[in-house]
Amino acid sequence: MLRLIATRAGLGVLTLLAVSVLIFICTQILPGDVASAVLGQQATPDALKVFRAELGLDQPAYVRYFGWLFGVLHGDFGKSLTNQRVIIEELLPRFENTLFLAGYSAIIAVPIAVGLGIISAIYEGRVADRVANILTLIAISVPEFFVGYILIIIFAINLAWFPSLATVFPGMGVGERFYVATLPALTLTMVVTAHMLRMTRNSVLSIMSTPYIEMAFLKGLSRSRVVSRHALPNAAGPIVSVVALNLAYLVVGVVVVENVFVYPGVGQYMVDAVSKRDVPVIQACGLIFAAVFVTLNTLADIVAILVNPRLRRRRPRKA
Amino acid sequence: MTDNQIKRDSGSGLIVDRRQLMAGAAALGLGFGMRPAFADDAPKKGGTLKLGMEGGSASDSLDPRTYADSIPISYGWQIWNGLVEVDAKGDAVGELAESFEAKPGATTWIFNLRKGVTFTSGKTLDADDVIYSLNLHRGETKSGAKDLLSGISDLKKLAPNQVEITLKSGDAGLPYVFADYHVLIVPNGFTDFSKPDGTGAFALESFEPGVRVITKNKGNYWKPNRGNFDSVELRYIPDAAARTQALISGQIDAGNRLDAKTVAFVMKAPTVNVVRTKGTGNRFAFVALCDSDPYTSNDIRLALKYGIDRQKIVDTVYKGFATVGNDTTVPPSMKYFAKDIPQRPYDPDKAAFYFKKAGMANAKMELQVSEGAFSGATDSAVLYQEAMKKAGLDLQVKRVSGDGYWDNVWLKAPFCAVYWGGRPTADNQLSQTFLSSANWNDTHWKREDFDKIIIGARAELDEAKRTQMYADAQKMIVDDGGMVCFAIGDYLDGYGKKVMGTAPHPHYDMCDQRIAEKGWFA
Repeated sequence: MLRLIATRAGLGVLTLLAVSVLIFICTQILPGDVASAVLGQQATPDALKVFRAELGLDQPAYVRYFGWLFGVLHGDFGKSLTNQRVIIEELLPRFENTLFLAGYSAIIAVPIAVGLGIISAIYEGRVADRVANILTLIAISVPEFFVGYILIIIFAINLAWFPSLATVFPGMGVGERFYVATLPALTLTMVVTAHMLRMTRNSVLSIMSTPYIEMAFLKGLSRSRVVSRHALPNAAGPIVSVVALNLAYLVVGVVVVENVFVYPGVGQYMVDAVSKRDVPVIQACGLIFAAVFVTLNTLADIVAILVNPRLRRRRPRKA
Repeated sequence: MTDNQIKRDSGSGLIVDRRQLMAGAAALGLGFGMRPAFADDAPKKGGTLKLGMEGGSASDSLDPRTYADSIPISYGWQIWNGLVEVDAKGDAVGELAESFEAKPGATTWIFNLRKGVTFTSGKTLDADDVIYSLNLHRGETKSGAKDLLSGISDLKKLAPNQVEITLKSGDAGLPYVFADYHVLIVPNGFTDFSKPDGTGAFALESFEPGVRVITKNKGNYWKPNRGNFDSVELRYIPDAAARTQALISGQIDAGNRLDAKTVAFVMKAPTVNVVRTKGTGNRFAFVALCDSDPYTSNDIRLALKYGIDRQKIVDTVYKGFATVGNDTTVPPSMKYFAKDIPQRPYDPDKAAFYFKKAGMANAKMELQVSEGAFSGATDSAVLYQEAMKKAGLDLQVKRVSGDGYWDNVWLKAPFCAVYWGGRPTADNQLSQTFLSSANWNDTHWKREDFDKIIIGARAELDEAKRTQMYADAQKMIVDDGGMVCFAIGDYLDGYGKKVMGTAPHPHYDMCDQRIAEKGWFA
C-alpha cells in the first residue's frame, strides 16, 4: 500500500516537472512578448526597450527557466511582470475560491450523479432511468455559459432569489459565500452530472452481467440489494476515476462560468495573464492546475483500491 | 451632442446637462420624467457607489504610468487629481492648477497651483510635487504619456506654488496634455504606488486587481459639490451580459460599455437610465499604407473611401449607436473639427471611376481584419467587401488571429483594421497618427506641409487662424490620406435611477471616468 502511494507521488512530481518545462516552452512560442502586450498600442520602441530590460526579458530562456524553478522549489512563484505584485499572494485566495466553488458543486453533483446512476442501473430501461438520462444529457449538450444565463434569467432576474454576480470577497461569511455562489455551482452541477451518471450506470450494469451477480439473484436477493452490496463495490474503480476527472474539470475548466458569474477564480486570473503575456503568472497557474490533476488522479487510484474488497485484502495464496 | 450645441446653451451647466439628457432620451425613445427635479437638487452626500466595469484585468497596477484602460483610469481619478481637467464643454480648466497662462508664442507657460490642497498623507501640495510628477513621464520611462510630454524641455519652480514649463516649440494646447489620465500628481519622491497617496476625494481601501477596488471618502474634499459618495466599490465585470444583468437587478449602480446589440432591451428596464455619449468613442478605421502598392496611388485610396457604405455598417454592426466617420480621427464633437468638409458618401460609381483612373487593373486589394483589432471589425469588413462588389471591385477580406494583432499585423499589413481612442485635443489626435515622425503613423502617410500646419497651429494663439489651420490639416487627410475611418462609436453608460450627475462628457464615457467624484445619490 505505502509503496504504491510513494510510487504514485513520485510519478506525480516527475509529471509536474515535465509539465513545467512544457508550459515554459509554450509561453515562449506565444507571439509577442509581455512588454508589447502590457504597453499595448501605446508602445513606442523606446518604452519597449526600457520595459524589457526592466523585466529581465533580455536574458536567455533557459536561464529564466531555472531561475524560476529554483524559486518555485522554495515556495516563491516570483512577481507578476505586469503589476509587480507577489504571485503567490494573488494566486492563493483565488485558488481557495476555485476550490470552494468546485467543492460546492461537487457536494451537489456527486451524490446526485452517483445516486441517480445507481437508480438508473436498478431500474434499467424503465421510466426513472430514461428521465434521468435524458435530463442530464440535455444539460450537458447545452454550452455552460448558456446554462448560466438561463439560470440567471430564472433565478436572478425573474425570481430574484440569488444574485447574478457571484463575486466572493475575503471577510465574507460562510453562509453568504454559499448563497452568492449558488448559481455558478448549479451551472457546474448541470455540466458534470451527466458524465458521472452515465459512467456509474454503465459500470454497474457491466458488472451486473457477470456470473457471480447471476448467482446472487439465484440466491433470491432483491435487485436493489444485489446492486448495492455486490455490484457497486466492484464497479467503484471506474466510478471513482470519472468522479476525479470531473472534480479536476471543476477546478481547471471553469473559466467560462467564472466569467459569466464574475467569480474571482484562478481561471480568469490565468486568462488575463495569457493575454498580457505575464509568463510567471501563467506558469504558476499552469503548475497549480497540473498539481490538481495529478493529485486527484492519484487519490482516485488509491480510493479505488480501498473500496474494492478484492484489491484491499491480499488474497491468501492457494497452494 | 456636439461641442457647438453645448456652447450654444449658456448658463448653468446642470440645466444644459438636463437638456442634453432629455434630447438624448427623446432620441432613444425613453419616457419623460425620468429625472425628477434633476437640475434643482444640490448634490447629496452619502452612500456607496457600486461600479461594474469592463476595461481592466488581473494585471492592473496602481502606477499611473501603466494605465491603459477604463478601470485603472477610473480608480486613478478617485485617488488622484491632475493639473487640469476637461469640463463639460470640452475646455481645459484648472484642477490642481488654479490658473495657467501662456507667454506669447506659447513656448513658456506659468501654472499657479491651488493652495492648501493636501495629500492623503497630510502633505500639502507644492511645486516640487508637480515637477516630480511630470518627470515620471519624461526621459527613460515606460509611461504611456511619454510622447505627450516629449515637447517639454524644462520644468522650473518659480515659487512654492508656481511652476514654469518651457517647451521645445509653442503649444497652445498644453493644458489639455495635463488632463491626460497618466499625468496624475503624486507627492515629491513618491515611489511605492501600491500605497497610493493622492489629493483625490477618495483613499484606497483595498486593491484586488481583476476583482475589486474599494476606496473610501477622506472627507473635506477640496472641490465643492464633488466627492459625494462615502465609498466607491469598483468591480471588474468583463462580460457585457453579466454587467447588464447586474445593472438591471440593481447589484451595481453604474456600468460602462453597454452592448449596442442589447441596449434597446436595457432601456426598457424601469430601473436603469442609459446615457449615450454620441460620437466620442473609438474611431473605427481601415488603414492602407501609402507606401505600399497599390495604395501608393491616391486614386486607389479614393476608391477605397468611396466604396464603403458607412451608414450600413453603422446601422448593422453598431445598431445605430455610432456616428459615420469622415476618414479622419477628429469627430464632430471635438474642438477644431472641420465642419465644412462634406461627409464622403457611399458612391460605387465614383469608386469604380477612381479605380479605373489609377490604371492598375490588376491591383490586388486585401484587407486584414480581426476581432482582436476591435469588436465588429470582421462584420464591417464583410459589409465593405459587399459594397465594393457593387462598384465592380474585388476586395479580399482575410481574417487573422486577434492574438498578437498589434505586433504582427497593425503597422505591417498593407491594409488592415485599427481603432483609435479619443485624445483630448485635435492636436494630440492628429499628431499621434498623421505626423511624419509619429511612431504610430499607421498609414505611412508623410506630408511635410501637413507637419508644418500641425506644428504651426500649436503655437498659433489666434483662434480663427488656428481653426482654419486645423481645418486645412483635416482636409489634407480626408482627400489624400490612407485612412478609411468609417465610424466613430458612441459611449453607452448605464446607471441606476438613483444615480445623479451622469451627464455625457465630450471627453470619455462615465463622465470622463470621474463619475465617482462627480455623481451623487438622489
